[in-house]
Amino acid sequence: MANGKDDKDDDMPDFSDVQSGASSTAPAAQVYQTYEVKPGDSLSKIAKQLLGDGNAWKKIFDANKDILKDPNKIYPGQKLKIPKS
Amino acid sequence: MKKLVVTLIPLLLAAGAACAKKEEAPPPPPPTAPATTLPAPVSVTAVNLGKAVDADKKVSAPTEAFGPKDTIYASVETAGAGHAKLRALWSFVKGEKTAKVDETTIELDATGPTTNEFHIAKPSGWPKGDYRVEIFLGDAAAPAMTKTFKVA
Repeated sequence: MANGKDDKDDDMPDFSDVQSGASSTAPAAQVYQTYEVKPGDSLSKIAKQLLGDGNAWKKIFDANKDILKDPNKIYPGQKLKIPKS
Repeated sequence: MKKLVVTLIPLLLAAGAACAKKEEAPPPPPPTAPATTLPAPVSVTAVNLGKAVDADKKVSAPTEAFGPKDTIYASVETAGAGHAKLRALWSFVKGEKTAKVDETTIELDATGPTTNEFHIAKPSGWPKGDYRVEIFLGDAAAPAMTKTFKVA
């Protein structure tokens, strides 16, 4: 969070079902969502939730090879790029 | 003879002056490589919110008031050229507290002005209240532009 006040209060609404996207007039623009890993997440679970296909976990792994060495080892708080284009 | 002298003297004087002028003229500048102008880096020039964008990614009817079932679009215009990272951070704002709604990034190679759209939807309906979208350029800590909007 830019201002460091990303409070996860019980009285704050749940936005986990938000769908998002983006596009550009610039050719070959790449779009990705930023996802923060939560306890109990796996790449296939994140792929199922955000890309609609659990088998798309490899797309996420490939997009995050700079921070992930093993697809089975992700940690809460890690920020992953979820490719959308 | 006198006539000849009278005619020659001004001519010689003129020629002498011309020679003297020639000597005073500065030497031509050494040949240089053609000047190159570096393009200005990418900057955010405008952000508009709306319920739809056209084929050019521009919001046709800007608004900052939305309904619970609306898809919310942010159209971001840039100027300049080069590689750039545009990040849209959508937040719900309740008093001093904020909750992250979504964070999406576009990486682009601009050769001139571009228009980019970010959008969010919530099938179960947006909670009523105040929201904002911050547009960041590159890895800057401060947003290049911020827009606030309401869901009522």
